Amino acid sequence: MPLFFFYLAAFLNPLVIQFIHQNNFSMRKFMISTALTLLMATTSLAGGYQVSLHGQKQSGMGLIGTSLQMDASAAYFNPGALAMMPDQLSILGGVSGILSSVAFQMEQPSLYQATTDNPMGTPFYFYAAGMITNRLAAGLAVNTPYGNSLSWEDNWAGRFLIQDISLSAITIQPTVSYRLTHNLSVGAGFVYALGTVDMERALPVEGPEGEGRVNIEGSTANFGFNAGIQYSHPGGINFGLSYRSQIDMEVDDADALFNNIPGTLSAAFPAENKVAVTLPLPANLDFGLSYQATPDLMVGMALNYVFWEAYEELHFDFEINTPNLQDSHNPRDYSNTLIFRAGGEYRVNEGLFVRAGAYFDPSPVNEEYFSPETPSLDVLAFTGGMSYLPTRNLSIDASLLFLMGLEQDMMYAPENFGGTYKSRVIIPGIGISYSL
Amino acid sequence: MHIHKIKNSLLFIILAVFLGCEAEIDQHIPDTGTIDLTAYVAVGNSLTAGYTDGELFRSGQEYSLANIMAGQFMHAGLESFKQPLMKDEIGFGGRLVLAEVDGAPFPVPMPGNPDPANFENIYHADGPFHNMGVPGATAQHLLFEGYGTLNPYFGRFAANPETSSVIADALALQPSFFTLWIGSNDILGYAMSGGEGAGITPFEEFELYYQIILTELTAGGAKGAIANIVDIVKIPFFTTIPYNALVLDDNQAAMLNAAYANLGATHINFSAGPNALVVVDTDHSAGLRQMEEGELVLLTAMEGISQENWGSQQPMAPEYYLSLEQVDEIGEAVEHFNTVIRLMAEAEGVAYVDIQSRLQEAETGIYFDAIGFNTEYVSGGIFSLDGIHLSARGNVIVANEFIAAINQEYNASFPKATIGNFPGIIFP
Repeated sequence: MPLFFFYLAAFLNPLVIQFIHQNNFSMRKFMISTALTLLMATTSLAGGYQVSLHGQKQSGMGLIGTSLQMDASAAYFNPGALAMMPDQLSILGGVSGILSSVAFQMEQPSLYQATTDNPMGTPFYFYAAGMITNRLAAGLAVNTPYGNSLSWEDNWAGRFLIQDISLSAITIQPTVSYRLTHNLSVGAGFVYALGTVDMERALPVEGPEGEGRVNIEGSTANFGFNAGIQYSHPGGINFGLSYRSQIDMEVDDADALFNNIPGTLSAAFPAENKVAVTLPLPANLDFGLSYQATPDLMVGMALNYVFWEAYEELHFDFEINTPNLQDSHNPRDYSNTLIFRAGGEYRVNEGLFVRAGAYFDPSPVNEEYFSPETPSLDVLAFTGGMSYLPTRNLSIDASLLFLMGLEQDMMYAPENFGGTYKSRVIIPGIGISYSL
Repeated sequence: MHIHKIKNSLLFIILAVFLGCEAEIDQHIPDTGTIDLTAYVAVGNSLTAGYTDGELFRSGQEYSLANIMAGQFMHAGLESFKQPLMKDEIGFGGRLVLAEVDGAPFPVPMPGNPDPANFENIYHADGPFHNMGVPGATAQHLLFEGYGTLNPYFGRFAANPETSSVIADALALQPSFFTLWIGSNDILGYAMSGGEGAGITPFEEFELYYQIILTELTAGGAKGAIANIVDIVKIPFFTTIPYNALVLDDNQAAMLNAAYANLGATHINFSAGPNALVVVDTDHSAGLRQMEEGELVLLTAMEGISQENWGSQQPMAPEYYLSLEQVDEIGEAVEHFNTVIRLMAEAEGVAYVDIQSRLQEAETGIYFDAIGFNTEYVSGGIFSLDGIHLSARGNVIVANEFIAAINQEYNASFPKATIGNFPGIIFP
């Protein structure tokens, strides 16, 4: 009988292997979903949360800004308009607080509801610009065009897609602008972008200590450009056109930390893995028009075309692959969007301006690929703002935005998670500007 | 700066209250449609009872199909649903748990001795019970008076083990609404014995028993839902060990070939790689042969194969595999029974729950609320460690199928259970 002893081992092996393989299905999914998560995280910023809070004055007017030529903030909104600013020197800075809330009702019939408990997002901006000659202006823009904090309630039903996520991108943009004629100026800036991501989701593997979790944390930097042209008609009409290039945020070595994985499955999820991924921040083409209707009243509009189609696919490349943790290609299929903005400013007196505006920001997300990482709904927003000038050179600027993410039925079809989403965002902001 | 912050926060608070900053979505209001929820009774076998991981035990019962459905009905007005709960997590002592064996998760018997109290009748102390799922019950068993004397799982909660039938006890509750999921055991007994034990219930008998059960349950005007049975041969109990589970190298194959040649069994051939297991087959001229593709090895053969050389040195007994003929026979029975169940649902006007189709869909992988499932053993997430019965989440999947069918048939809108709120398989 010892003759046959050998194939006991021979048989046990395949069985053990089989057990591991049997876990393939559910684990391959983790990896795929992880990939989706990062992408969505990015899109959620620029979709429903692309609030473009880059100046309290613009924020008060529905975020129009492309055709405005009032101060150094033009460096961001339209570098072409910078050389048209009325002052020799302009410095301004400000910060906003994004107070957002997303509600979810699972696909009917269900009583399941969840909401987010998001930490406050705090986008900020700083601009400085001066006229070097009569025609040439130079400036610097530092701001946060992308940034998002989303935290779903603990153990919510969508935790396998996302539990919480925090992203931010800071751009630093040196800019020059040149006035070609009295009415026409052009400008361009070099954009240096720094991005960070930190996200966590649950894994549907359970051990005595509960469910596993994966945390992905990384940062990266890359370059882009911003260019624009401004035409100022003597009749008080300004036209602006600007283009911000796509910036691919290539994270080469994000930490992929697998926590609380049951011991017998730990080989499938190396506890301290790395992952490389590229997150494209899409290009923007903005057109703006503003009109000084009376000496005290200015009205304007802007169209922002966002090239979301850049999100065709996202590739996740894990440094350590296991049979259960493979690299993944994730088709995205986002759509370009056109945001319509309108707003105006009224001068009450020398020391007080009031502003109002509104915009409609349609969701770029394919409704079959709508995930709670991206509560990016069609957004209708109303804005208001004011500036108080204690002296001629100093302005204290405030704005308040109210965003309504319209109630929509959405599905994340690849993993059959869907329902009704709705969001509400309130964004108060305060800033100061100085001009000489 | 501070003043502005304060001003700002004040302004914000006022506006938040005024405009309603918190996103809110109107809650769905469940509607019972044409269903009367005065008394809901679940009738069935182990799948209804909450039997899982090879045993009926307390937490398994809490996540039973019947209890999950009742929990959802409670959102629409069902007031009580009582289950014959075991005293503990051990039940009658057959439970399996996953343990680490050579670094991999492996099902092993759970340590601990059953409490004799689990075998005692609890009807008079805690009854009557709305979960009338009895592990092991066939269609005929539900009608069998005195079934409690044959099946301790019924004996422990029958109104009178000597005289009660499952159906009689169910009817005593005067159900206004019922669910019925029966029929698996009419085939499973045969399949789990490798086709050597009790036969499949004859088709005409099954039809008769089913008709009687349904007629009795609906006699008082009760509405209900009935479910078809799953493809028996597609459950992990029959699909986990492949017919060619014997993986050999050249040397091992040669030694085995020599050994069988010495016995004169030259039709038994091994080669390097996966090899078909050797089985006893009395219909074969040599009395033994190697398995063919499509034939199925029972999960219970695992220990024998891995530790006692079944299928290699020792031909595996007929009780541990299903021949192609037997697989076909089982498949035909499933189709026939399911036709009977579907036609009866139509005739009686009750909701028809197509579990078979749903599990067929799950074979290649299916997601519910971002959790992936398939029908594989342990990792698939639907079936429990015994390879036959459902896990807690498997029960949720089936409960939601019931609810969907009930909502459709009776114009109701009972909410589905949220699968992520239920535990998955626990790995060591």
